[in-house]
Amino acid sequence: MRKFYTLLTLNLGSQMTAEIGEIRLPVSEAFYISIQNVRRRFTRVAITTASVTLGIAFFVSLMMMASFQAQTGGTGIQPYMYWLLFISLLVCGVGITNSMLIAVAERYKEIGTYKCLGALDRHILEMFLIEAMLVGGIGGTSGYIIGLVAAIVYAFANPAVGITTAFSSLTQPNPAVPLAGTMPVALGLLLLGIGIAVLLSLIATLYPAYYAARLNPADALRYEI
Amino acid sequence: MALRYEYTVETEDLAKYYKMGVYIVKALDGVNLKIRRGEYVSIMGPSGAGKTTLFNMIGGLDRPTRGKVYIDEVDISKLDAYELAWLRARKIGYIFQTFNLIPVLSAMENVMLPMIFAGVRREERIRRARELLERVGLGERLYHRPTELSGGQQQRVAIARALANDPAIILADEPTGNLDLQTGLEIINLMRQLNKEKGVTIVTATHDLKMIDVSDRIIYLRDGKVERIETRAEIAVEAEEF
Repeated sequence: MRKFYTLLTLNLGSQMTAEIGEIRLPVSEAFYISIQNVRRRFTRVAITTASVTLGIAFFVSLMMMASFQAQTGGTGIQPYMYWLLFISLLVCGVGITNSMLIAVAERYKEIGTYKCLGALDRHILEMFLIEAMLVGGIGGTSGYIIGLVAAIVYAFANPAVGITTAFSSLTQPNPAVPLAGTMPVALGLLLLGIGIAVLLSLIATLYPAYYAARLNPADALRYEI
Repeated sequence: MALRYEYTVETEDLAKYYKMGVYIVKALDGVNLKIRRGEYVSIMGPSGAGKTTLFNMIGGLDRPTRGKVYIDEVDISKLDAYELAWLRARKIGYIFQTFNLIPVLSAMENVMLPMIFAGVRREERIRRARELLERVGLGERLYHRPTELSGGQQQRVAIARALANDPAIILADEPTGNLDLQTGLEIINLMRQLNKEKGVTIVTATHDLKMIDVSDRIIYLRDGKVERIETRAEIAVEAEEF
């Protein structure tokens, strides 16, 4: 297409081809816009983040409780727990997708405007995916904290475990924790929790972001909320 | 830098049909226009006459069903997505009825946005955005967000943003539609001044009769066709007769 156009304009003796320059959105600028979106649309983002937070809190607390039990000779991590975790994260992912689709619908006009100002499809995609990463990061961190607190409360309230066992097991590796079995449980689950949160949020946002990026600017601008 | 072309916008038998169920709506049906560089043209007509559709076609926001649009003598239907984005960023400035500022960004950041896409250096972006906002009378409001500005002020930011990359043409779709009489008049006068100062071609789609006073030509659309075109001289004569 480009080549054809070049030939055509050269034949016409126009200099437009030479004029066609670069269009770009540096990552730093996309990041800045996404951060502003997260800050200024706090309620919307908080709802999306809550979904991530709950999923990760469940994951972290379950893994920690199982680690405590393993140390006191209990059952430890059982296969059915992975099924539970899978389902909980799936529900959480659907929640994020739903919330992001609404975020896209709210911003139809804005997306149309970005495109009028020169944004390419991939710039729109990039902005939404960066936002998803931020949501994942924040949700993962807060989920970890809530999960940790829940696990400690559990240890405190359960005489068979006790607070001392809980702290000693948090600082030791538990090989049963997937992917992070060689790290102390507290650290391993922090990294794993944030990792899963970011990945989950990215995957769940992929469809809404792709949909937003493909919008025809004329249609996007016409949209009234 | 840019070559100077006699006609900024040309359309050739431009048509856009929409399918509404079994009906075909002819939003535009064979429009031929030539708009000279530096002209201030108003497109008038009742709602549903095809003003916004024409705006979208000239602005490269939608593809025509038939016919051609030339911006600076380039047929924009031949451009791919990347080239169209470049055209929108560099050649065309858009002004909307609903202002369409990015709500999470400040006035300065809104004006800088098209310059980011065009790859203008950061210092230059800041300098130029400040200069433009001062020119439209918002020197005191550089870091306000759209929600902290009145409608007229928001439209001024939008005008500054439209001028950011020194475009060949500014397209304005009902720029005064959401403004009161006095503010609308101020916006119209500002656009006319900038048109004279910078030599930028302005095409507005409008219902607003105040626009007639400043327009070089008025194109009346009806049912997707050009009904008649009046130049300013003719309008002045008409006004004298009454």
